Amino acid sequence: MAYSFPEEVLEHVFSFLSYDKDRNAVSLVCKSWYEIERWCRRKIFIGNCYAVNPRIMIRRFPEVRSIELKGKPHFADFNLVPEGWGAYVYPWILAMSKSYPLLEEIKLKRMVITDESLELIAKSFKNFKVLVLSSCDGFTTDGLAAIAANCRNLRELDLGESEVEDLSGHWLSHFPDSCTSLVSLNIACLVSEVSFLALERLVARSPNLRTLRINRAVPLEKLPYLLRRTSQLVEFGTGAYSADVRSDYFSNLTEAFSGCKQLKCLSGFWDVVPAYLPAIYPVCSRLTSLNLSYATCQNPELGKLISQCHNLQRLWVLDYIEDFGLEELAANCKDLQELRVFPSDPFAAEPNVTLTEQGLVAVSDGCPKLQSVLYFCRQMTNAALFTIARNRPNMIRFRLCIIELRTPDYLTLGPLDAGFGAIVENCKELRRLSLSGLLTDRVFEYIGTHAKKLEMLSIAFAGDSDLGLHHVLSGCESLRKLEIRDCPFGDKALLSNAAKLETMRSLWMSSCSISFEACKMLAQKMPRLNVEVIDERGPPDTRPESCPVEKLYIYRSVAGRRFDTPGYVWTMGEEAAVRLS
Amino acid sequence: MMELQLGLALCGNSAKGYNLDDFKIGSFEILDVQDENNVQVLQTLPLLVWDKDDADGHNESQRKDGDENGMVGWPPVNALRKKLCHQSRHRPYGGVMNYVTVKNGGVGGGGRGSNCYKYVKVKMEGIGIARKIDLSSFQSYGTLTDTLISMFGKSRENGDVYKLTYQDKEGDWLLAGDVPWRTFVGSVQRLKLIRDEDY
Repeated sequence: MAYSFPEEVLEHVFSFLSYDKDRNAVSLVCKSWYEIERWCRRKIFIGNCYAVNPRIMIRRFPEVRSIELKGKPHFADFNLVPEGWGAYVYPWILAMSKSYPLLEEIKLKRMVITDESLELIAKSFKNFKVLVLSSCDGFTTDGLAAIAANCRNLRELDLGESEVEDLSGHWLSHFPDSCTSLVSLNIACLVSEVSFLALERLVARSPNLRTLRINRAVPLEKLPYLLRRTSQLVEFGTGAYSADVRSDYFSNLTEAFSGCKQLKCLSGFWDVVPAYLPAIYPVCSRLTSLNLSYATCQNPELGKLISQCHNLQRLWVLDYIEDFGLEELAANCKDLQELRVFPSDPFAAEPNVTLTEQGLVAVSDGCPKLQSVLYFCRQMTNAALFTIARNRPNMIRFRLCIIELRTPDYLTLGPLDAGFGAIVENCKELRRLSLSGLLTDRVFEYIGTHAKKLEMLSIAFAGDSDLGLHHVLSGCESLRKLEIRDCPFGDKALLSNAAKLETMRSLWMSSCSISFEACKMLAQKMPRLNVEVIDERGPPDTRPESCPVEKLYIYRSVAGRRFDTPGYVWTMGEEAAVRLS
Repeated sequence: MMELQLGLALCGNSAKGYNLDDFKIGSFEILDVQDENNVQVLQTLPLLVWDKDDADGHNESQRKDGDENGMVGWPPVNALRKKLCHQSRHRPYGGVMNYVTVKNGGVGGGGRGSNCYKYVKVKMEGIGIARKIDLSSFQSYGTLTDTLISMFGKSRENGDVYKLTYQDKEGDWLLAGDVPWRTFVGSVQRLKLIRDEDY
C-alpha cells in the first residue's frame, strides 16, 4: 500500500500493545500488518497446549521472549484426570531451545515438566529470567538445582502449588554467590528443609527481592533473620507459624514485621499458634492481600486480625471465620474485592463451624467492591442468592460450593434455580460461575438467557435432561470453557450444538450420558475438534455403541490430534476408527 | 456366594476383587459383570462404575483422590488442601500439638475438641459394601467392635466371631486392642473385621 507507515513506525506502535486480543486484532488488518506484528510479538499465551504445536508457534512468531502454557483440564485439580494423561512440556522446551535462544520467561499451569526439561532450560537460554510452575508436576529438586546453578540472571522462581519430588533441600545452595538478581522466590510447596543459612545469604544478596514465600519447614523463630535482611519485601509467605511461646521470639518477630514498610501481601501461616498473630498487627493496615487459607485458627483471634486490615482487597480464609467473622469483615474491610472461604473439614458429615449463607450475604452487603467469590458452605437459600445478586451487580466471579450434593433451599426445600438465576440476571458482567446445590434444567435456561458475558462455567450433579446442556451451549455467547460432571446430559444436546464447540477452548464432561457413538459422530462432523474419550474400562468398542463414555474432553485445535495419549484415552476420528477396528 | 444388598445383585466374595467401595458414583449405565464362574451378573444399580485399579483396596492409600465419602473429586478441593484437612483432623485440637498456647484459654489452632470427627472406612470380610463410622463417638474397643458387628448384620449368637484389625499411619495392618484407645484413634486409617479362625 502506497500510504502505509514505514515498518519501524508500525512496529513501534505495536510495541505498546500488550494484550493478546489487541495483537490478534492488529494482525488481521492486512497482510503487511500481520507480517510486522508476528516478527515483533514477544509474548505468547497458549490456553490449551494441544490447541497448537511448537512448530506452528515458532513458524509464525520467530522472536518470542515469553511463553505461557496451560495443560491439563481444570478438573485435574480434583483428581478427575487420571495419571499420565499428557500435558508434557518437553517437546515445547526442545523446540524452543533451538529456535528461541533469547527466551526469558516460561510460565506453565497444570503441565508435566521433568528434570530433563529443567536442565534443558538451564542450558539453552542464556538470558533466562522467569520460571513459574503453577500446579505442575513431574520434576524433582534436582531439576531445581540445575535452574539455580545455571540461570545467571534469574529473577523469578515460583513453584506455585506444584507437586515436587523433594529429594533434599540442598538444591537452594546451588544459587551461586554471583546471583543477585532475584525479585521473586516462592518455594512454599516444598516439604524438605532448605539450608537456612543458604536461604538467608541468598536473600541478603538479592537487593531487588520483593516476593518471598518460604516453606513450612522454616520455623517461626527464624523469620526475623529473613525479614531484617529484606525489609523491602512486598509479598511474604511465612513457614509454619508456630513455636513455643516466648516473649523474645514474639518481640523479635513483631519488630521484624514492623520494619517491613512495603509489605502488602501475607500468606503461609501453617500450624498457627494464635499467640503469635499479634506480631503482624503493625503491618495490618497496609495489607491488601491476606491468605489465611492454611491457618487453622479461629475467632476471636482470627476476627481480631482481619478487622485491623482496613485496606484489605483480597482475603482467602478457612471457614473457621464463621458468619460472625464475615460480618466483622463486612464492617471493617470496605475495599474488599475478592473473598475465598475454604472448608476446614470438607468430608465431615455434619457442619463443624457456623458458616452459612448469612456470612456471604453480610459481605455482599458491606463490601461494595466485592466482585470475586469462592465460597464453600453447607446451606443456602434462594432468598440469600437474590440478596447477594441485588447487592453486587458488579460480581465477576461467583463460585459457590454447597458441600452436600444436591442440597435444596433449606427454607423452601426446592431447587436453587431461581437464586442462581438472579445472579446471572443481575450480574451482567459475570465471567465465571460455579454451580452447586439442587438444580433443575431451569437454572440452565436462566443462564442461557442472561449470562452473555460468561466465559467459564462449572456444573456438577445438576440438571434433568439434555435441555439443560442445550440452553447453555446455545445461549452463552462468550462461553470458552465448560466443565461438567455427573449430569444427565446426552447426545442430542451435544450434537445439535457441535458448531458451538469450535468457538470454545474446551469442553469437559465426565459421568454424563454421552455415548461412544455420539463421540464418533461429533469427531466426523467437526474435524477441527479433538474429541478424546477417557475410559479406564478398556476400549470403547468392546461395549455397545450406545454405552456412555466415562469421560470426554473436547477442544479445538489447529495442530490435529495428539500422539502422546495414554492407553485409556481414545481420540475419535477417521484414523481412530480404523485403529479400533 | 451371592449377597443381595439394597436391591443389588452382587458378585460376592471380596477376595476375588469385587468390592463395592471400589465403585464410584458415575454415569448411568448397566454393567455386565462376570464372576469367576462365568455367570453373567447384571449390576442393576444405575450409578456405579467399577474402578479396576482398586481391586483389593490396597491401592486406596496411594490413590490421590483421598475422597472419604466414595465420591471422586467432591467437594472440589485440591490435594494440598485435602492433606491439610487430614492433618488438622489427626490433631484433636486442630493446631500444633507440641506447642503451648498462651492466654484466654485459646485453643491452639482450629477444630474444637467435641466437634472433631474421625471418619474411617470399615470393611468386613465377606461383605462387599464397606461402611464408614465416626470413631470420635466411641470410647473403647468393646463398644466399637460390638457396634461394628451389628452394623454389618452379624451377631455373636450366630457363632460369627470376628477380630478387629486396623491399618495405621505407616500402612501396616495390626490387631486392634494392643495400644491405648486414644493412641489407636490417633493412628488408625481404616478398619477391617476378619473372621476369627480360632473359634
